[in-house]
Amino acid sequence: MMGTGLNLPGFSAMVNAWWFLLLAPLIIFYFLKLRRPRLEIPSLALWRQVISDQRVNSPFQKFKRNLLLLFQILLLCSLIISAMQPYLSTGAEQARYLPVLIDNSASMAALDGPNGKSRLDLAKEKVSKLIEDLLPDQRICLISISSTARKLTDFTDNKRLLNEAVSRLEVSQVPSRLEDGLRMAQAMSLQQPIDTVVLISDGNVPSEIEFELPYKLNFQKLDFAAANVGIVDFNARRSRTGWDVFARVEGTKQPDGDKGPPTAKTLCEYELLQNGQSIKQDTFSVEGGNAERLVFKVVTAVATSLELRIKPDAFDSLSSDNVAFLEIPAPRPLAVYCPMGMDTYRNALSAMPDINLYPGTDSEPKGVDLKFAEGPLSTGPEARVLFNVGFVPDDLSNLVELVSGQTEVVDWRRTAPLLQHVQLLDVQIADDPKLAKGVGERDFELAGYEILAQSRSGPLILERSNDGRLEYQFLFHTDRSSLVYRVGFPILVQNAIQIAAQRANLLDSKANPTGALPPQRISPDTGIHLTGPHGFAETAKSDKDGTITGLGAPYVGLYEITGGPEPLKIGASLMSSGETGLVAVEKLHFPEVSVTASSTVLKTDQPLWGWFALAGLFFLLIEWWYFQKRPSGVPA
Amino acid sequence: MESTKQFTSLLDNSTLGRVERMRLLPMRRLTNRSRGEHLAGKGGTSTEFNDYRDYAAGDDMRYIDWNIFSRLNRPYVKLYRHEEEMHVVILIDASASMRFGEKFEKAKQLAACFAVMGLMNLEKVSIFACQHAGQTPQILPPCTGRMSMKRIFSFLENLPPGGDFPIDEAVEAVLKQHRGRGVCVVLSDFLTFGAMERPMNQLFSAGLEIFGIQLLCALELNPELSGDLRFVDSETGMTLDVSSVGDLIGFYHDHLGGLQDHLATLCRQRNGRFLCMDAGLPLDTMLTDVLKRKGWVQ
Repeated sequence: MMGTGLNLPGFSAMVNAWWFLLLAPLIIFYFLKLRRPRLEIPSLALWRQVISDQRVNSPFQKFKRNLLLLFQILLLCSLIISAMQPYLSTGAEQARYLPVLIDNSASMAALDGPNGKSRLDLAKEKVSKLIEDLLPDQRICLISISSTARKLTDFTDNKRLLNEAVSRLEVSQVPSRLEDGLRMAQAMSLQQPIDTVVLISDGNVPSEIEFELPYKLNFQKLDFAAANVGIVDFNARRSRTGWDVFARVEGTKQPDGDKGPPTAKTLCEYELLQNGQSIKQDTFSVEGGNAERLVFKVVTAVATSLELRIKPDAFDSLSSDNVAFLEIPAPRPLAVYCPMGMDTYRNALSAMPDINLYPGTDSEPKGVDLKFAEGPLSTGPEARVLFNVGFVPDDLSNLVELVSGQTEVVDWRRTAPLLQHVQLLDVQIADDPKLAKGVGERDFELAGYEILAQSRSGPLILERSNDGRLEYQFLFHTDRSSLVYRVGFPILVQNAIQIAAQRANLLDSKANPTGALPPQRISPDTGIHLTGPHGFAETAKSDKDGTITGLGAPYVGLYEITGGPEPLKIGASLMSSGETGLVAVEKLHFPEVSVTASSTVLKTDQPLWGWFALAGLFFLLIEWWYFQKRPSGVPA
Repeated sequence: MESTKQFTSLLDNSTLGRVERMRLLPMRRLTNRSRGEHLAGKGGTSTEFNDYRDYAAGDDMRYIDWNIFSRLNRPYVKLYRHEEEMHVVILIDASASMRFGEKFEKAKQLAACFAVMGLMNLEKVSIFACQHAGQTPQILPPCTGRMSMKRIFSFLENLPPGGDFPIDEAVEAVLKQHRGRGVCVVLSDFLTFGAMERPMNQLFSAGLEIFGIQLLCALELNPELSGDLRFVDSETGMTLDVSSVGDLIGFYHDHLGGLQDHLATLCRQRNGRFLCMDAGLPLDTMLTDVLKRKGWVQ
């Protein structure tokens, strides 16, 4: 591409300037083949004098007399210049390949007033302008970013394709997360040279981004939306008499510097529905920038679905956060499987309330909430939380080896839920897991494990989250350590019980955020069909354990899973303080650089070929009219 | 009412009657030696009294005014004016350029009028019509008297237009054929590539007072043209490409005005007259409102 200085027109296809050579034959043929009507007059004597008059032969008069030629030259020049692809340089550095990241998270649906435009509409306008100003050798790739990134188009200069992709783009009612989009653009830079990436967003993104920018980021920030009130948290905690349900409603805060809409105290109506039946209605007020906490008591002995709806009396720019869903499970004892041989654990568990311990008097269920095991070939039901003791699992056998020897804990993560309030200092351990040669902590991370405690020679306790199942791996047997004699051991077992109870939603329950539904357990290898709001539909198949993960939930609303033993209804709510607050960051902080938002119009080179083509058409019409116009005074 | 038979197709009878009562008014008395109707500057033997002078020995006794002699007792001789003949030469440009509009028709009518005036004033009238360059002009030999009127009308009626005789050369050709002083009425459009100084000088030298009448049609006086045109000369067939004619009309008028001024100056400097007339004007208007008002005829 040829570029010229600031604000000077440049040409993308300079080679077409050769067509200017056509001017020579044009002029020659004009004078050779000029079609003039003949008019017999008495004498040329006077007209000869007129033609040879000095005034008539002034350059301007000559041009005026050859107006047809002038039009033809202008027409040809317009067409050639148009073919040379002129553009008006704005001084912005040109990027041949330009990825455009368009934020389509929930906050982009915020309107700037009643019947106003959404942020996404504004973003679409900006992108359309970019597409319109696309130069012939420029390629644009559109990427939508919400909680994940999605490539809408490949690098293309096909304006129709790009415009279609833009028109198809909808708001995804999920919180925004930029990293995926930035990484996708980085991955593209391996294929094409990418200097600049354009990000069009309302600024409602995390300001701290853990990503090393390998390119320039042009952050185009959209205007502020109007004020908003929304539910940012909806959860329940088990109480003695039932469930205490909590909801948190926030109003937008006016940004610093009096930018954005002013926030005022907003009166809201709310309605709580249980299984579709309204159980409470009231009003509350929330101040802009503050939060209001709503507390309800729900007494139920069975699983129930709660839905909270709020209705602000003032204009509310975002509607997706005005409703929240909460699934409350049926109360039941925690099912724990602990083999008969693990007496220390069974003793500790036997003293704890609300536990069904297996094997026992009752028949063994297919699945339990917590399972203890002391060997790799353990039998028993499937469990959400596994507590393996005294062996190295197969996938770690080449990383660590369990040998006999004396060791002790040198460090452990005191904040891990399992080890909270558990003192491991001076615990003597008769098993000594040793790292294989050349193996480090990184290898365990790659295998999906997190080290919770370690000795001098290797890890002792590992944690892994696998297919919705939480596994704790004790590489030593607690029975061959002094831990079982300490007060920390029953606390450890109690922590495991708490973790399992939480995983089974027996202690508390939180509203499911949009993005992805929580893993569901149905019968193994069963195909299901998921339907949701806005016509969302998806099919999936459970694995051999009967777990279905990765079910998408891009919209706020109720999702229904059919195809399993019985239909399931799960609600998904926005539950994002950031999205509801419509907080717009002015600066994105990356590890080494910061990118300041720019609300000005994106500088792009203005292609001018259309104007020249239009001028060519105009000259063609004028020339045709002039050519067809019969000279007056000449008899037909 | 029974219609009266027209004497000629050139003039209706009423116009002819009026023309017969008109006379040419030349600015100078350029006459021939032969006796005629025009009074010469010198004394003569006509019946019109001019002056008295003292009698000198040898004077004809018949011209002494005896009444004065009886009162004053001194002889005085009565002097009478001398009347000489004036030659009216009419030169009609009959080239192709005169075909446009009513130029040629009006030229023939005006020629007939001038000829009638000459004949009725007992002048010698001769007519020259110039058509093709290099050829001898068609000539109506000098004729006098009312009896020659029919001959003149017949000559003019049968005169066709066409040819490429430029007026400057035509004058020279005519002067080769003509002898005699008087008036030369040149009826032409005067649109020629040549210069008019030389023929004007020749006319003046030949003792002819120039009555230049330029007849132009509407296409020449006020051309309403526009666009790009290829003009074709009606006489020579030469072409001239002119673009945006409409824009040049102003310049055309300037040059036409310049030509008329130039011709008027040439005539005036040679004691002649020049007049440009629109060939579209009615003949009566030409005679009464133009020629009579301007003192060409009375």
